[in-house]
Amino acid sequence: MDFLISNEEKAFRQEVRDFIQEVLPPDWLGVDPGPEEEEREEVYHLSMEIWRKLGAKGWIGLSWPKEYGGQEDPAKDWILKEELIYHGVPGMDIAAVQGDLILAFGTKEQKNKFIPPITRGEVKYAIGMSEPNVGSDMFALQLKAVEEADCYVLNGQKTWNSGIHRADWCVVYARTDPNAPKKHLGISVFVIDPKSPGITMRQITQMTGLRAFCEVFYDNVRVPKENLLGEKNKGKDVSMHAFAIERSYGLVILHNARRYFEQLVQYCKETYVNGQPLAKDPLIRNRLAEMAIEIEVGRNMGERINWMISQNMLTVLPSCQNKIHGASVAQKVSNLGMQILGLYGQLDEKSKWVQLGGRMRHIYLSSRAWSLAGGTSEMSRNIIAGRYGLGLPS
Amino acid sequence: MDLAFSEEQEMLWKSARDFLANKCPKTLVREMEEDEKGYPPELWKEMAELGWLGLPFPEKYKGGGFRFLDLIVLLEEMGRACLPGPFLSTVVLGGLPILEWGREEQKQYFLPKICKGEAILTLALTEPSARYDAASIRTSATPKGDDYLISGIKLFVPDAHIADWIICVTRTAETANPEEGITLFLVDAKSPGISTVLLSTIAGDKQCELTLEKVRVPRSNILGQLGQGWKMVKRIMEWAALAKSAEMVGGNQQVMEMTVNYAKERIQFDRPIGSFQIIQHYLADMSIDVDSARVSLYKAAWMLSEGLPCINEISVAKGWISEAYRRVATRSHQIHGAIGFTKEHDLELYFRRAKAGELFFGDADFHREVVAQQLGL
Repeated sequence: MDFLISNEEKAFRQEVRDFIQEVLPPDWLGVDPGPEEEEREEVYHLSMEIWRKLGAKGWIGLSWPKEYGGQEDPAKDWILKEELIYHGVPGMDIAAVQGDLILAFGTKEQKNKFIPPITRGEVKYAIGMSEPNVGSDMFALQLKAVEEADCYVLNGQKTWNSGIHRADWCVVYARTDPNAPKKHLGISVFVIDPKSPGITMRQITQMTGLRAFCEVFYDNVRVPKENLLGEKNKGKDVSMHAFAIERSYGLVILHNARRYFEQLVQYCKETYVNGQPLAKDPLIRNRLAEMAIEIEVGRNMGERINWMISQNMLTVLPSCQNKIHGASVAQKVSNLGMQILGLYGQLDEKSKWVQLGGRMRHIYLSSRAWSLAGGTSEMSRNIIAGRYGLGLPS
Repeated sequence: MDLAFSEEQEMLWKSARDFLANKCPKTLVREMEEDEKGYPPELWKEMAELGWLGLPFPEKYKGGGFRFLDLIVLLEEMGRACLPGPFLSTVVLGGLPILEWGREEQKQYFLPKICKGEAILTLALTEPSARYDAASIRTSATPKGDDYLISGIKLFVPDAHIADWIICVTRTAETANPEEGITLFLVDAKSPGISTVLLSTIAGDKQCELTLEKVRVPRSNILGQLGQGWKMVKRIMEWAALAKSAEMVGGNQQVMEMTVNYAKERIQFDRPIGSFQIIQHYLADMSIDVDSARVSLYKAAWMLSEGLPCINEISVAKGWISEAYRRVATRSHQIHGAIGFTKEHDLELYFRRAKAGELFFGDADFHREVVAQQLGL
């Protein structure tokens, strides 16, 4: 047994860090990964710029086959993501994950059409799963897709569709067989152009004040047949694969929280109360150390998952464990940050009195999503308990 | 990175599991809780023959030449079986310090005896303050001719009542900095002036009050350097914290498996209770504590074996495992219901050991303070 990190991995990590230092403005406090913070204009422009630079570096899809611009190197792909997330770099788009699906289920023509613009960092993607009545019970989805001679016609509604208003493509899950004997058997997946006629959308303002969520209405939207991803009515397979590749989501959350935690530690070293730094307060020391331990433990779990992936082992169980742990840690960091900042924690980033750039307030609000998105912590517990985990009876 | 067991580790854990399943049934564990010695000497001999007592010591001292990480694999199985006896005291608290700081003749004298099962050792560190800090070391060692006279009370000394030799942490000089002036002595447990009283502890393990009254110890029995003992104690505490963590991870795993099985078998409302979502979610959370504890243990133990700086990783492991094991054992009781907290069920053995393990060589608060220092707070 060893936890050795290869020199090649160390060198690549350094290369990524150098890149990050180059592309980020000085004193960058970081943003959460994902579309929500791209609703800040300056973050959006920076994200587009960095997305293209990542493409130019050949770093988008590092795990993908060489013929599609990848390096077939999942370890490198993870190092890149970890560093980008830890440093709060905007830019790594949902497209990087949806490309996995297209490579796994797409036809040759689809791969040739969709993948190169992703690896060049030119296109943004969104995912259309949830509906007003469809949350964790995903296979109950009702957006209807009816096959016609040259296309599918979509009618219905999606919601919580993050970032689709800025996306070039959206991977949408729809019902193609309403009479299927089981509800998960009649689902198909489409790559749709959000600017298609018949699509209207309304942005929903989130608790953070940002408007990444969209409610999307489909009114006789014609989607070309060649945009069907995978086989008709076999969308369940695509969705299971999509959940599987979200297996690193717990780590994404954790590494994002790690940055905020370190900012908090720094704040406690520099902030004096009654003549001594907060860092000398026994209660604060204890609480910060507790967080540090939970973060380190999560990273240890992550090392195990990454190793298991490298061995082609099934990672359903540890990924769900890490998802739950990561979300819990991140929410605790946000709560601890608010506790330590006290009254200052209330202020938004525009206040001249604001501390830590208002990041603690932001994550206190945004971190509610982290135990929900990508499968709720409760669904993760169900999966752990089930046949891929503890094998408990249903 | 390769997180799989090596072939040797694989063999070690398998043989340990089989051996302990045979030789260390829970009837023995309970018997030894009541027994004054607290360990079966025949089993001790067999463990020596298996090479367990010499596992981390070089072959030239009759040891197995394995690494600390391998020792961790074995300790995990011991914790799973609730193996009673002075293994951790002898090998980790006694043997490893001699290997690290002993003079060649000390190593030649002690290590082969340990490996062959002919000497039981322990470390007398804590005193009535019951804290793991340097200022608490009040037991004095004063020079007298070529000898030292040691006087004081040591408390919570594991296995002192059966030990042949005791590494005694003493104060040889009063200095402004309490971490200076501390010296370790190898004390023959049969020396005049030594007495032990067994304490009755929550886990039924054998901890003692050790009284030393002008115990005469030759100067040549100093381990390491005069006055440099606290640095050594800190190292020993790191080994001990990880060794205990390994036992706890083993116990944690066993509790998890017991509880999953129980939840599958126990029928209420005409169905196994493991089919209820609340029980499933309890168990899912327990699985996180169990698996995260193990990988954190291995990470720290690997770093220690590699000689990498790992003060932080060790405290992350012991701090986390201390609370994780308690959470798991507590939830397990909730799932087991009334049978779990009777002496007729194994669970109570683990619940009591989880608490004892938590306290041993630094609880979570202790290790959080170490982590706080590592954060530069």
